[in-house]
Amino acid sequence: MSEFENIKKDFPIFEREVNSKKLTYLDSGATSQKPQSVIDAMNNVYTNTNANVHRGTYVLSAETTQLYESVRSKCKNFLNAYHSDEIIFTKGATEGFNLLANSISKKFLQPGDEILLTEIEHHANIIPWQMVAKQYKLVIKYITINKNFSIDLDDLKQKISSKTKVVSITGESNLSGLLPDVKLIRSIVKENSDALFILDGAQLVPHRKVDVQELGIDFIIFSGHKLLGPTGIGVVWGRLDLLNELEPVSGGGDMIEEVYYDRATWAAVPHKFEAGTPPYVEAIGLGAAIDYLENITMEKVSQHSDMLRKYAQDIFYDLDRVNVIHTNEKFAGCTFSMHIDEIHAADISLMLDTYGVAVRAGHHCVQPFHRKLGIDATFRATGYIYNDKNDLDVFKDALMSSIEMLG
Amino acid sequence: MAINEKVQEYKKILDLFPNAQEKYQYLIEQAKDNTNFPEELRNDIFKVSGCQSKVWLIPQEKDEKVFFMSDSDALIAKGLVTLIASIYSDETPEDIVNSNIDLMEEFELGVILSPARRNGAFNMLKMIKDYANKLKNT
Repeated sequence: MSEFENIKKDFPIFEREVNSKKLTYLDSGATSQKPQSVIDAMNNVYTNTNANVHRGTYVLSAETTQLYESVRSKCKNFLNAYHSDEIIFTKGATEGFNLLANSISKKFLQPGDEILLTEIEHHANIIPWQMVAKQYKLVIKYITINKNFSIDLDDLKQKISSKTKVVSITGESNLSGLLPDVKLIRSIVKENSDALFILDGAQLVPHRKVDVQELGIDFIIFSGHKLLGPTGIGVVWGRLDLLNELEPVSGGGDMIEEVYYDRATWAAVPHKFEAGTPPYVEAIGLGAAIDYLENITMEKVSQHSDMLRKYAQDIFYDLDRVNVIHTNEKFAGCTFSMHIDEIHAADISLMLDTYGVAVRAGHHCVQPFHRKLGIDATFRATGYIYNDKNDLDVFKDALMSSIEMLG
Repeated sequence: MAINEKVQEYKKILDLFPNAQEKYQYLIEQAKDNTNFPEELRNDIFKVSGCQSKVWLIPQEKDEKVFFMSDSDALIAKGLVTLIASIYSDETPEDIVNSNIDLMEEFELGVILSPARRNGAFNMLKMIKDYANKLKNT
């Protein structure tokens, strides 16, 4: 029996109905549903071991600290990082970008230095750079996107130079499913600059095996909640030599070595970046989520994503009035943004909801690119491990009926 | 008809529809009947913030009463704003300011009237009351 056959049973939310219909959840690009094992792991902390980490010399604190710190090793293995200390816990991917943008600018960047992003970045990989660019007088450039929603490598070659100090790009587009050829882009960047290379793994890490050593990148950021884990937890992985050089941007408890009234020294990496009580229960939930995925294996997770994507391409392409924004590259994620001639995306998503189909409508935090396409809003369906062909069939039938009703 | 009576009338109509889908279809019909919005006024001044789609609401004063014209680029939102505009039109600023009916409680309209933080419907009602308040005080 395939790992995916009865998988919905592991996710209690699929027992409920929405508008008297079975839930068809196709919004995992926004957040994933949680397996019982993740919920149990977090319940277990609050029920049996809860105490603040790194503090108490008593059993509960020691147990919770052990559970929490063991997630660092899980993340290290999950990403094939060099060392557990390279794993920094944040409250989410967005905080990760803010941390890196501020810390890198403060330490490494000079006025006039350039940051290279792509036109399809999530706002979390744009706004923090805009904020530091203003503060440190940096220049942001955007690599153009081709007609098939892939990254224009000629434009990259034109824009990269010795002035480029940071390249930060998506590992998987949350709009078109594009999976950029990271290794190729990394090699072009390396040949033409000494820029730091950051990968936005928010959509990529839940779906594909990511090996940071093989990719040759400097940093990757992802969030727990898109990866079957809870909200309030994210990960920044960075090369240890770089993390050692970078300065913290948040101060408080847990990140210090010695504190005097007029100064302080920092704890070692990773703790110097983790001020205050960390979200240890959420981190332990993330650990259970990683266990769940590794038990299936990331290879099978990505095969399932590919199967769903191909099926979606079969049934959604060539439909009358339905415009699909999806890369036609050979490899891509199962993310389909769509817009219907003469019908607003918000109407479609409200109507789909009445069939129990949950999709997202709006600009999906990629507003500049929507503007470039001349579209106000799209609705987006994303598939994950608990989705199957039947979910896509239900979605398609509901979409056809919605279009008919909306005229 | 007083604001409260109009709300009760609409409530009666909406209650006839057994599910969200049929209620939305009713709103779509209301939207399709609302065709008198001047194209040139679809601008940012009259745009209601916080809506997923673009929604416009224009207040007018005639014989000491307030009237609202409304529009949206999405049909269900347009149906909703049409209904809200009709409830608060042909009323005095005092009556609008003094009415404390909670439409979100009265109408069971599913997610479109849920008390979410970024709720467009809430902003539509706020815009109506703010305008009435301004008129009342001048």
